[in-house]
Amino acid sequence: MTITAKNRHTEAHEPHWVEWVTGIVSALIVFLMIAWIAKEAWMEDGAPPEFSIEVTGRGAAADGYRVEFDIANRATTTAAAVVVRGEIVDGGEVAEDAEVTFDYVPAESKSSGALLFSQDPGAREVRIRTIGYIDP
Amino acid sequence: MTMAKPGRSVEKRHRSRHFPIGLGRGAAGAMIFGIPMLMTMELWHLGFYIGRSRLLLLLLVNIPLLVLLAHRIGFEQTFTWREAFRDAMIAYAIAIVISTVVLFLLGNITAEVPFSEVIGKVAVQAVPASIGALLGRSQLGSHRNDDEEQEDKAEKKGDHDIVPNEMSTSYGRELFLMGVGALFLSLNVAPTEEIILISYKMTPLHALGLILLSIAIMHGFVYAVAFKGSHELSEETPWWHAFFRFTFPGYMVAVLISIYVLWTFQRLEDAAPTQMLMSVIVLSFPGAIGAAAARLIL
Repeated sequence: MTITAKNRHTEAHEPHWVEWVTGIVSALIVFLMIAWIAKEAWMEDGAPPEFSIEVTGRGAAADGYRVEFDIANRATTTAAAVVVRGEIVDGGEVAEDAEVTFDYVPAESKSSGALLFSQDPGAREVRIRTIGYIDP
Repeated sequence: MTMAKPGRSVEKRHRSRHFPIGLGRGAAGAMIFGIPMLMTMELWHLGFYIGRSRLLLLLLVNIPLLVLLAHRIGFEQTFTWREAFRDAMIAYAIAIVISTVVLFLLGNITAEVPFSEVIGKVAVQAVPASIGALLGRSQLGSHRNDDEEQEDKAEKKGDHDIVPNEMSTSYGRELFLMGVGALFLSLNVAPTEEIILISYKMTPLHALGLILLSIAIMHGFVYAVAFKGSHELSEETPWWHAFFRFTFPGYMVAVLISIYVLWTFQRLEDAAPTQMLMSVIVLSFPGAIGAAAARLIL
């Protein structure tokens, strides 16, 4: 409880027990948070981003063909401006390619996006890979 | 929004003259608090990408918040819940009008912009602007003649002594005020790209430093540097009492508000827990400052 008198506030000397319970619970949560971050600081290895791409869906789009995918970054480092290129491979030749850029692929996280081709890849192989990124 | 005691004929004139002034102050407050957001690109974009259910929740949450705030900063003890509700609604409406007008003048609302996007933009902007409008009406208006106020108080004291010169702020109310301060500052910065970028640039060690700094600032603002409106501890109360009872819970409030705001703006999607926590810590920094400032100002 706080006593306000003429713009001065004085905290009560005999606070309600609720204040102490809230205070102690909050302190515990803050310490837990600090502990978690400290653990992360300890574990941090500075390894470069590691991407893996998984196709999650494909189908006809308004003017072509859509291939949806998830991109995961397993490392503890975030990558920015991640460029992903997809290619339709027809007998060793690249029949068509498409590109998309992710603003961020955060550390140990997943982002999703889609590549748009003008033709249906059908049975042909669709190769999707990252071709570069920058450090944020 | 200067309201004196009821039952006086002068009073009526006083009020009718003060209503437009109150509206003007509200508009000024909405501008002061709203302009930084109205001129932020990310907030325009929020208009179309913010999830409608989350936007709805934010708009609904804002109503009780404004009412409580209006009730808290309302004048004297004559201020009723009904008046608080009325004031809250007026503040909200002022904020909506101001946001619409400013966005229109900035060329952000045109005939080509779909209506749902316009609504989205105005709705997002109206939340902090409404807090501003409410504060504008009370804070800008509260510095009325000090002599008059003293007189009023003396008069009342002489009357029945029903209005003590002391007011106790309940603990819950204190936390609520911190929440409003945190929400306001968080809303201002949360939609920007920078919050996310900063959390990616920071290492865990930076984050640790930021947590400690946030807590230190919160405590320092309120107890140590003794601003006007600072809180004091009585002589016999050890310093760590306030630390546990107010500063830690206050920081927790800032953290919870950060989580809520980041969730509303869809900044927590698909991220790993540590990344989420980092963003929350980044946003809790302005949140903590807002919370501390609210305790001083309100």
